[in-house]
Amino acid sequence: MSDEPIKASPETPAATPAPSAPRAEGGSSGGAHRSEGHSGGGGGQRREGFSGGGGGGQRREGGGPGGPGGGGPGGPRRGGKRQYFRKKKVCRFCVERVDFIDYKKVEMLQPFVQDRGKILPRRMTGTCSRHQRWLGEAIKRARNIALLPFATEL
Amino acid sequence: MEERLYDLIFICRPATPEEEISKIVATLEHSAAEHGGKVEKTEKWGTRRLAYRVSKHREGFFVYMVLRSAQSDIIKELERRLKVSDAVIKYQTVRLDEDLKRQQKLVHHRERRASRRPRKTGAAPAPQQQVPPAAEQTAAS
Repeated sequence: MSDEPIKASPETPAATPAPSAPRAEGGSSGGAHRSEGHSGGGGGQRREGFSGGGGGGQRREGGGPGGPGGGGPGGPRRGGKRQYFRKKKVCRFCVERVDFIDYKKVEMLQPFVQDRGKILPRRMTGTCSRHQRWLGEAIKRARNIALLPFATEL
Repeated sequence: MEERLYDLIFICRPATPEEEISKIVATLEHSAAEHGGKVEKTEKWGTRRLAYRVSKHREGFFVYMVLRSAQSDIIKELERRLKVSDAVIKYQTVRLDEDLKRQQKLVHHRERRASRRPRKTGAAPAPQQQVPPAAEQTAAS
C-alpha cells in the first residue's frame, strides 16, 4: 500500500544492515531489532507485523532478484541496495501559505481523509505539525455537520 | 465584551418547503437582533448529500449564516430555537473570531518579514543568517 514508503523513510540511511539480520532469524527475535536503534527497529518490526502471515514469504522472493519494478519501495529494502531515494514531502499548506483551514471547504479537506473518513497521518501527507493540527480541527468540525463522514456505513 | 464572530450552519429536512426555511431564517435574524447580535450573511447552500445518515435522511438542505455578537446568550437562544423547530435536523455553531485573529496575526507577521528581507540581502549577503534574530530581538524589545 501507499504507507510503506513513508514508514520506511526514517530508517533508510541508518538501518542498512537491518534487513539481512532479521530476515535470517525470522520474526522470532525482537532483540536484534531493538539494538539497532529506536527509529529503525520500531518501523521495521511494525511493518512485518502488518503484512504478517501471507505477505512475508512473497516479499522475500521479490527481494531476491533485486527488487522488480512492481515491488517499488519494497524491492530495495530487501535487496540490500539502497538506491531508492524518497522525495522529501512538503507541507501543502505551507507552500500555499494557508493561515486558516476552512471546515466548510470539503473539497480542500478531502485529500487528507481516507475514503472511509479517517484522517490521514502526517507521515503520509507530509503536512507540518501546525497545519495538521488545524486540519484535524477543521475535519472534525466538518464531520460534526455531516460534510465529512465519521466512518462510512454500508 | 468584545464582539465575537460565529458560523452557524443548520440542516433542514430535504422535503421542507422553501418558504418555511425562509421563515426559520427570518425568525433567527429577528431573535439575533433582539439579543444585540447581527446576521452578517445568510447563504442557502441548497440540498446536499449528507456524509452520514441524520435522523434517517441521506440528504439535507444546508443553510449557512455568519453572526456577529458581543453576547454569548444569542447562541443559546438561536440553538434553542433550532432545536425546537421540526424542520431542522442538525445544526452547528462555531466561534471563529479567534481563528481569524490568529490568521491576521500570521499574515501581518509574514508581511513584516517580507518587507524586511530585501534590505538585508542588499546590505550584507554573507552574515545574512545571523542578522535576522538580532533584528527581531531589537524589534521585540
